[in-house]
Amino acid sequence: MAASLTAGAIAKMLNEKVKSEKEMMPILQVTELKMVQRARQNQETYKLSLSDGIQSQDGILNANLNLLVKQGKIQVGSVLRLSRFVCNNVQSRTFAIIMELEIIAEQCNIIGNPLPANPGKPRSSGQASTDQTQQQQQQPGVVSVNTQSIGGFEQQQQGRRSELSNGTVRYGVSNSIQHQVGERRAFDTGSEFPGTKPSVRPFVSSNAGYGSSVQERHGLTNSPQPQVGEKRAFGTASGFPETSPPVRPFATGCGSARQEQTRAPPRAYSRPPVQPQPPSMYANMGPVARNEAPLSISSIAALNPYQGRWTIKVRVTSKGELRRFNSTRGEGKVFSFDLVDAAGDEIRVTCFNDVVDKFFDMIVAGNVYLITKGNLKPARKEYNHLPNDYEIHLDNASTIQQCYEDDAAIPRNQFHFREICAIESMESNSITDVIGIVSSISPTGSIMRKNGTEAQKRALQLKDMSGRSVEVTMWGNFCNAEGQRLQSLCDSGVFPVLAVKAGRISEFNGKQVSTIGSSQLVVEPDLPEARELRAWYEREGRNAPCISISREFTGAGRQEVRKVITQIKDENLGTSEKPDWITVSATISFMKVENFCYTACPNMNGDRPCSKKVTNNGDGTWRCEKCDKCFDECDYRYILQLQLQDHTGVTWATAFQEPGEVIMGIPAKELYYMKNEDRDEEKFEDIVRKAAFTKYIFKLKIKEETFSDESRVKATVVKAERLDYSSDTRSLLEAMNKLRTEDANPESSNFRSGAFNSGIGTSGTRETSSVDVPRREFGLPAANQVNQFGNQHNSDSGPLGGVTLCDACGSNNHVFANCPSFLSEPQGQHVNSAYGNTPGRNAGGGMPRQHVGSY
Amino acid sequence: MDTSSPAAFVNGDLLRRYIGQKVRAVVQVIRSDIGSVVGKTTDDQQIVVKGSPPPSLTTYLEVIGIAESDNTIRADVWTNFGDNFDAGNYNELCKLANGEFRHMFI
Repeated sequence: MAASLTAGAIAKMLNEKVKSEKEMMPILQVTELKMVQRARQNQETYKLSLSDGIQSQDGILNANLNLLVKQGKIQVGSVLRLSRFVCNNVQSRTFAIIMELEIIAEQCNIIGNPLPANPGKPRSSGQASTDQTQQQQQQPGVVSVNTQSIGGFEQQQQGRRSELSNGTVRYGVSNSIQHQVGERRAFDTGSEFPGTKPSVRPFVSSNAGYGSSVQERHGLTNSPQPQVGEKRAFGTASGFPETSPPVRPFATGCGSARQEQTRAPPRAYSRPPVQPQPPSMYANMGPVARNEAPLSISSIAALNPYQGRWTIKVRVTSKGELRRFNSTRGEGKVFSFDLVDAAGDEIRVTCFNDVVDKFFDMIVAGNVYLITKGNLKPARKEYNHLPNDYEIHLDNASTIQQCYEDDAAIPRNQFHFREICAIESMESNSITDVIGIVSSISPTGSIMRKNGTEAQKRALQLKDMSGRSVEVTMWGNFCNAEGQRLQSLCDSGVFPVLAVKAGRISEFNGKQVSTIGSSQLVVEPDLPEARELRAWYEREGRNAPCISISREFTGAGRQEVRKVITQIKDENLGTSEKPDWITVSATISFMKVENFCYTACPNMNGDRPCSKKVTNNGDGTWRCEKCDKCFDECDYRYILQLQLQDHTGVTWATAFQEPGEVIMGIPAKELYYMKNEDRDEEKFEDIVRKAAFTKYIFKLKIKEETFSDESRVKATVVKAERLDYSSDTRSLLEAMNKLRTEDANPESSNFRSGAFNSGIGTSGTRETSSVDVPRREFGLPAANQVNQFGNQHNSDSGPLGGVTLCDACGSNNHVFANCPSFLSEPQGQHVNSAYGNTPGRNAGGGMPRQHVGSY
Repeated sequence: MDTSSPAAFVNGDLLRRYIGQKVRAVVQVIRSDIGSVVGKTTDDQQIVVKGSPPPSLTTYLEVIGIAESDNTIRADVWTNFGDNFDAGNYNELCKLANGEFRHMFI
């Protein structure tokens, strides 16, 4: 059990060499332990003395650790390792606030002969008697200290207190040692405590601020003081301006002074009138002169609920919106903003009601301010995603002052980036920051929310060095502002670095990151991580395979997955539970003109029309069953059956209103009238003909549907865009390049050439090359069962199904890819000769003028 | 025009490989005179195209003819390609057609 303590730790803590767990996590022993009650807060706080075997220091346990004390896990003699703590120094008193610790040993004999932390601090103790006995454990030095005159002591106390009032969190724990002795006992028996406490308490309550401190002091001083009877006398009195009797059972005396510092009395207890302040120099009484000593700026990490007069110099990283709410107490306003300090720590500040009015206009994101005197409360994690356990609540006593000269030491934005692969294992709904290269971005889409409102969303893929990519969804304003910028950057080939702060991880087909109200997106941030990413991307990331942790296919954030038509069948798309969404570049080779539209319900259901088919009531009105309404005028919506073809195969697809309009070029209604009412056949045919044989980029949704025991794979055109040859060619070239680097296999040249040629209207060239092609194209549809159910027909025609004919040589026992004529010459010369047309040529897929002979 | 042999896609650099042979190129018209057109190839080199250009020229022009030197083509066929043309893609095509995929073209 002889756990070894970190010798010298206390000295370092006292010297301010060690201020928090960042410098070291010392193993210390509890030599005293006392509970203090803060009058106003009804909160128990445990104060203890920690020793490293040589010296000791006072400390306070954060409320969340109280349980450990109650359970007896922490006792006098316990050996602890402080894993999260802050040391504050007021004057020469140091005080440690412990947030997290590890219990190394619950019970242990006192190791070494620790000296009290600040020898010489007078202590008064109500527990004189008990203390006396404990004397033994004290160091000689201590005693002497104790013998200071009361008056002097008080003054000393007061002096200290004045420092306290500066809001610095220092707590000279000088008498800790003395305490320890007493403490221990106190703790164990609780005897001392009650003794002093009660007296103190009332006292405390009267003082606005010092209540707690008094308490504490009380606790602390219990021990040693005893020797010095006088000490007892002064105890807190000295510390307390308001409270007169110097002879206070206040005992805490020195302790109090100390404690004050770290307690946040002002905040907790008082407010103006009884300011904790630097009580006058005169023991017990007299008006307390508020000591507006020069601000000493503390860091965000040092803030804790036990001290109130602090000042921080911070930059506002984000300013929230002004929100109104209604609660049982009436209406209210609230607004929050986030801060970062020079050390990089962050904390959120919230203001309510009047305070909102006071500060709302003043706060501007990006500016540096000096903020003083707020309350520290535990952070509400469901709203506050900053890595800080506390949040600041400002009140009327707080002040905010703008610093006009910017402080370069304070960072603009503090990120805690995680790698994308780490996100995969993070929990859903947790908040994280992430940085990556935007590898693709899709245009803004609108989603209907459950409550009927529409929301804008935009998805992009973010890729980083861990070899993973994740889909990031932007909502609301982000779509337009940053989204647009990112889109233009991506289109121009520059793939920007994007940093996301406070993105929420959601689980929807793998993990995705979404923006929330308080998210921030920074495009091309000026951060070292960004530069690293950029360098990695240039080197290898561009083409590095990236596994996406967000599965792309369904719903939002669909990645443009380019496929060729044969892949629909080959890869059995649509057969899994969810529909598959793919993009193909294809031509309309046929369009059914008989029923190109249907009569639809025009009733608006939220933002979208109902669009269900309406039945003719016979008298010119139309009835919708879903909405149960009758209309005089119905909408006409497209329902086009199209045959799509690319260089690999053919498929049927159905296009509804939106893509229908894009393809036909005129609204369904007009077309309908043209055909039926005006009977303008010629014009109608003209339009149809124009629409056919044009190349588009189609976004298809493939799904297998079962109709009375038969399942068919059905393709729906979700979007049709005219093909921009230029950019399509470029993407083909890229694909070629990728292939080339990945695959040195000569066979692949086949594919490449295939890809190369898909930019060409298949129609024109096909005719010249293979025998079977025409069969596939124009004439076919008639032969095929003209019905809605897609691929079935095609299987009869091309290589997709029954009869496979090789494009190159027309024989039917192999496909184009395996053509022996091809295989015999690795370069596959015959094969794609027809496709010699340059993709770049917009003049249409005319006949190749080159007689390439061979095929 | 003699259509028995295919015309190779060329840009400025590749032209010299086909001196005396039939080539085709798309150039951006810089200057046009009676009898010749000075154009910029897709790899930014200047060549002269001799022959009888059509009266009206768009920005881009395709010419098919015999390469006389490494910067001259005697063109028989002139085709206006319009004003929007992706020269980069065409250039890539030339490179591929004469390099890796030669077998497909010639």
